Amino acid sequence: MLLDYDRMGWLRVMLLGITGLVTAFLLLPVVFIVLLSFGSSRWLAFPPPGWTLKWYGELLADPAWLGAALTSMRIAAIAAALAVVIGLFASFALVRGEFRGRNVLRGLLLTPMVLPVVVFAVAIYAFFLRLGLGGTTVGFVIAHTVLALPFAIIPIATALEGFDKTIEDAAIVCGASPLEAKLRITLPSIRIGIFSAAIFAFLASWDEVVVAIFMASPTLQTLPVKIWGSLRQDLSPVIAAASSLLVLLTLLLMIAAALIRRRFSK
Amino acid sequence: MADVNLTLRESKAPAGQAGTAAMPGKAPFRFPAGLGGALPALVLVTLFFVVPVVALLLRSVTEPEPGLQNYATLFGDGTYARIFLNTFLVASVVTAVTIVVAFPVAWMLAIMPPALGSIVFGVIILSMWTNLLTRTYAWMVLLQRTGVINRTLISLGIIDEPLPLINNLTGVTIGMVYIMLPFMILPLVGTLRAIDPMTLRAAALCGASPFAAFRRILLPLSLPGVAAGGLMVFVMSLGYFVTPALLGGTSNMMLAEMIAQMIQSLLNWGLGSAAAFVLLAVTMALYALQLRLVGARRVGGGA
Repeated sequence: MLLDYDRMGWLRVMLLGITGLVTAFLLLPVVFIVLLSFGSSRWLAFPPPGWTLKWYGELLADPAWLGAALTSMRIAAIAAALAVVIGLFASFALVRGEFRGRNVLRGLLLTPMVLPVVVFAVAIYAFFLRLGLGGTTVGFVIAHTVLALPFAIIPIATALEGFDKTIEDAAIVCGASPLEAKLRITLPSIRIGIFSAAIFAFLASWDEVVVAIFMASPTLQTLPVKIWGSLRQDLSPVIAAASSLLVLLTLLLMIAAALIRRRFSK
Repeated sequence: MADVNLTLRESKAPAGQAGTAAMPGKAPFRFPAGLGGALPALVLVTLFFVVPVVALLLRSVTEPEPGLQNYATLFGDGTYARIFLNTFLVASVVTAVTIVVAFPVAWMLAIMPPALGSIVFGVIILSMWTNLLTRTYAWMVLLQRTGVINRTLISLGIIDEPLPLINNLTGVTIGMVYIMLPFMILPLVGTLRAIDPMTLRAAALCGASPFAAFRRILLPLSLPGVAAGGLMVFVMSLGYFVTPALLGGTSNMMLAEMIAQMIQSLLNWGLGSAAAFVLLAVTMALYALQLRLVGARRVGGGA
């Protein structure tokens, strides 16, 4: 009876209680930060003695924050686009290719996701120092594309595995060229996978801290690097304001993902 | 189907567009079918991932002079031994706590009415997608000496003095469990959903108490999921940098932080790379073990 929701009795009450507590635990820091960003206490007293928008004012008035956000946006957009395109081609090879070592190749392409990121950060830092790419946008984009690639390959390859290839073959039999069949039949069918890949690849770069800390220069900082630097100085409420905007962005992405998923599944 | 494959094979389709079903004996030697599409990814990962990592590892045996002295220092010195030990301790504690907390939640999520479950899933995704530094910052503020948690406990009369919740094992554990929970809950829901409720009804019919049914049926059946998820959390925790650096104390530094410090502040490339190699080797070994546990199932499939 342990897996019958309606016949669990007291056990269900207990488990639901735990689930509620854990959900609250997961929600707590997110809600807390948003509330704090509107609080008037510089020392982050909670509950706040009053409410204010001045931390947002300070945040938006500081060109360093805005610059860091724009840098992050630019790098994440380019890295995500590259990762999705490269990942799309790679997924076709991984799912449909027949060559020896296909599983080895799959493992290799997914390794950047499982290797401790600090090892990669240190390695690419040393490598780019020699190539003169340290602290450059190009260096940032390359490093983040490598890290984002597995996040692009996994959803696209999964979608491609679930796509019945005979439909594409049928289009070819009916006179479409192989390329045309791919563009007009296959790609639209796996668009949810491609869309997820774009979101995950973007987030992989946008949220990336460790490589960014090593790659950043005084003139080129992403948002996480800026937050990291501020955190090490003090726990200023301006960070709470910046964080709240990031939470808002996350919510918007989640809503967009849900809406598009709903529209596609119709 | 065979005809279609044949036409595909004979048309001058570029690599990456060949058919799926291999027909032994019919295919003469040619460029590995379908490999072409993977070339950009292969070049990218080889040039900017494999080469830099191998080059880094080589420095561990070449700097400051050729030999294994970096590894001798690393394993011979009590300071580093303590860091290794602490890294394993933190990762073990985090994994254990994550499993215990995640199991009941995954259990409920597996059988909950979808309307209720989607709220919980929404919160899990929100917390997972929220910027890592944002979440860590929140815990820094919540856990500090004058933070909300200490104040609430004092005003409730539970404690008189603020508890030391940050810059120690407690702080790291809370912050890390928070980050790892979704990675444990989500796969575990899949495992639990795959269990047939009938087996548990049968156990109850045969007179098993709920506890016996849990211990002898539900737990063993969910163990592969627990082991796979737990191993993943353990491996991720071993190499974690940000949260331990911000919520942990100087007395319980972890391996990733040590590597970063060695190289960024101390410029000791030899020792730093040796430590990086140790972390890499342990991670890869555990990862291989996980692949074996998960069996033939593909990496990264599902949620």
